[in-house]
Amino acid sequence: MIARLVLRRIAIGAMQMAALAALVFFVIRLMPADPAARFVGLGASPEAYAAARATLGLDKPLLAQFADFLGFGAARGLIDGDLGRSWVSGESVAREIAAALPITLELVACGVALAVLAAFPIALLSARRPGGGADRAVLIYGLFAGSQPEFVWALGLVFVFFAQLGLAPGPLGRLSPFAEPPEPVTGFMTIDTLLAGRFEAFSDAVAHLALPAATLAIVLSGPIIKMLRDSLGRALKSDHVLFARASGLSENRVSAIALKSALAPTLALIGILFGFMLGGAVLVESVFALGGLGQYAVRSVLAFDYPAIQGVVLTIAAVSLLVYLITDAAQALIDPRVAT
Amino acid sequence: MRIARLGAAGLRFGLRRARLSVAAVSCALLLGCGSPPLTNADGLLVLTDETPTGLDYDGPSAAIPQSQTGIVNLMEPLIDYAPGAVNDSGVRIPDFTRFEGRLAERWDFDAARGVLRLHLRRDAVSCAGNPLTAADVVYTFARAKSVSGAAPIGWFLANAGGVADFDGDVFTDPAARTLGDEVRAIDRHTVEIRQGQPNPLLLPVLTTFGLLIFDSVEMRARATEDDPWSHDYANNAAPPSFGPYCVERWVRSSELVLRANPHYYRGAAPIARIVIKRVPQSANRYMIMRMRQAHVAERLTPREVAAIEDVDGLAVRSVQGNESLFLHMNFATPPFDDPLVRRAIAAAIPTRQIIRNGYFGAAVPWTGVAPSSYPGAASGAVTTDDPARAAALLAQAGYPGGRGLERYPDAFRLAYVAEREAVLGPIAASLQTALRRLGVPATLDPIPSAQFGDRQLVKKDLPFALNDQEKPVVVDAGYAAQLFFVSASAGGVNNMVNYANPALDALWARARGETDRVRRTALIQDIQRLASADVAWAPIVEYRTHWVGDAQVQGWSWRPDNALRFYDLRFAP
Repeated sequence: MIARLVLRRIAIGAMQMAALAALVFFVIRLMPADPAARFVGLGASPEAYAAARATLGLDKPLLAQFADFLGFGAARGLIDGDLGRSWVSGESVAREIAAALPITLELVACGVALAVLAAFPIALLSARRPGGGADRAVLIYGLFAGSQPEFVWALGLVFVFFAQLGLAPGPLGRLSPFAEPPEPVTGFMTIDTLLAGRFEAFSDAVAHLALPAATLAIVLSGPIIKMLRDSLGRALKSDHVLFARASGLSENRVSAIALKSALAPTLALIGILFGFMLGGAVLVESVFALGGLGQYAVRSVLAFDYPAIQGVVLTIAAVSLLVYLITDAAQALIDPRVAT
Repeated sequence: MRIARLGAAGLRFGLRRARLSVAAVSCALLLGCGSPPLTNADGLLVLTDETPTGLDYDGPSAAIPQSQTGIVNLMEPLIDYAPGAVNDSGVRIPDFTRFEGRLAERWDFDAARGVLRLHLRRDAVSCAGNPLTAADVVYTFARAKSVSGAAPIGWFLANAGGVADFDGDVFTDPAARTLGDEVRAIDRHTVEIRQGQPNPLLLPVLTTFGLLIFDSVEMRARATEDDPWSHDYANNAAPPSFGPYCVERWVRSSELVLRANPHYYRGAAPIARIVIKRVPQSANRYMIMRMRQAHVAERLTPREVAAIEDVDGLAVRSVQGNESLFLHMNFATPPFDDPLVRRAIAAAIPTRQIIRNGYFGAAVPWTGVAPSSYPGAASGAVTTDDPARAAALLAQAGYPGGRGLERYPDAFRLAYVAEREAVLGPIAASLQTALRRLGVPATLDPIPSAQFGDRQLVKKDLPFALNDQEKPVVVDAGYAAQLFFVSASAGGVNNMVNYANPALDALWARARGETDRVRRTALIQDIQRLASADVAWAPIVEYRTHWVGDAQVQGWSWRPDNALRFYDLRFAP
């Protein structure tokens, strides 16, 4: 049953990606600027401008450009897995995304993991005594944490832990500036330092990840706690949990049964938040100078770098669909009714 | 037994490692690690808002200032300006009246033939270990003329310097893209460059980042069938050259690490390693400097620079170089076609307030149309800070109290580069307030820099804008005039306000070929006075270029591209 769900989702995902590829190609060309101008800033003679447009392929009819993008022209294209070259850097978009994506995935994964770790005990504590002190505190925290933009938390944490207390490293990227980075294997700094057996660099990488991940965790934990607390509250009042309690099971065992029921909607929320944060963590990436996918997306949009924008949109969509697929499959495992 | 012992030893080792890792993670998670103190032994740490996006000066990102920082520290010019005096901020300024040899140790100019003969050094060696020869210079010009890169910067500068046959034909006739004998090797260490017509800009353009010399041996080794001029390698790996530094590591949008070229002909750089680190938020660059965790920070906001002036151990280095702010009013957009309206708007500009609140005193009023530090620059006669005169001029133009200007709401959308909001936002707001007091319906329109560039340089339809980005890279007021005020039909380049004055064009026609320095300067100054009288631009201020540095860092120097030369820097003993 789950296999069928996965296959169905993959088929739908492929169609979504194809539609998105066409949509993003045409929509970004509606933006109110011509990217060729940026190339010829110094020598903006009409000839140089025309040469730049030809270099970018902008002198061709729109449908011919679309055919080139898909890979039906002279060069390789999307159907060959080639996202083209960035107009800003001249580098392969796929290579640039391959460098930026692991940074964001590592950040978001750690942020979500911290948020979930914090959310479960807090939500449980809150749901067990609705209306109690803990419950009210959780409600206030959830509202407050979720209502502050992430860059406010990020700047605040930098100010307190770096500038005032001197406990955290400066917001200087994934490693200390003079540290030698490991040979990239996965692109995840923590994993690559471990694979290289460089424990000092691993410690450095974790230290540099701590504040950005904590920032995301603070922001994300609000909605996760709220969702989990509400689901748990409903589950604790459900018939099967009342039956479990009436059967004399321990409170921890009863909580575990309720938690299983409450998990499915929370998993869906976590999947949505994860997908959203792939592009939405840009401000955290910016404050901590991480150079992830969000920053790459913003740079590309501001520079009207069409190939890079297309690449980022398709990558975020693909990763988001993958995350949704995983969370749906996990939900189906917990609650088989989801797969039907 | 032995296996068991080995196993136990392995287990102990594993546990020790595991304990170390757990300790490391715990330490990090508890934020107990902090930052180790910065030492000079590791090298120089420079914080900037963006690392180079590409390193080929004919590549797609050569117009980005941070890319130029990478290029000028990796590559070497044929000649450069001689060092001049040190200013009151401890920054050495070039002497724009004297040139000195770099890769060319001497040169002579045959005025009758229009030929510059360059005698190259014999001791210059590239990062790849290849000695400099005349073939490298010929290759560099041949590559520029091929216009095979994304942006033809090399061609443009050679054209501006009057090199023969570097004309617009290259864009329409593929045969014109092949280098002839206009640049030729005489022997292994002598090159001749021939001009098509007399042009005094040949030496100045050779100092700029767009005609730095490639190591042709390495470039040819990196060429492919699809990319015979090695743009991909030069842009995405490193431009092979004879400069003071070589690329050690480069991660776009993160860092560029430079290592001193051990073969550099002026001696290896005093600071062997430079780490240029991207920290996008200026507030964080400021905070890291205050915590003494970096040696140099670039592009702080004026407010941050002012706040750091009194911090012990840090020094603000600045220069009144070539950065300026002016108001752009498009002649093609009514009512800016009316000279009275132009003068009225200029008179309303609150220059003193902008200097005080926008630049925190680190700027001076500007009345000219070319950087006042450039040879041949003339002061102009544009009046600002005079609201009474502005009101009178508006009334004279038929708009008393601004009445009637509501017919042009789109014309008064004051555009500026959104990415410069921290600096330009408060200035735009001051200007808007001053204009509204006169009844001018000004609104603010921050737009992305790419859109700003497109509308300003290509479409030329930006009606009203604040611009602080125009820095003529060739140090010459005539070049600035050609760039901004000469009509396209008369050889102008990016006259973005659609200004046209036949008298000015006629003066330029005389000045461009004038080889007598005194007569040429007089003509160029007349051009500037004409542009100023017509309020072609409404100049506002010339602001200081700043760096914040650790007080131990010495040897600061400025160049017209505003890129630091790391070779000049050293740590105080």
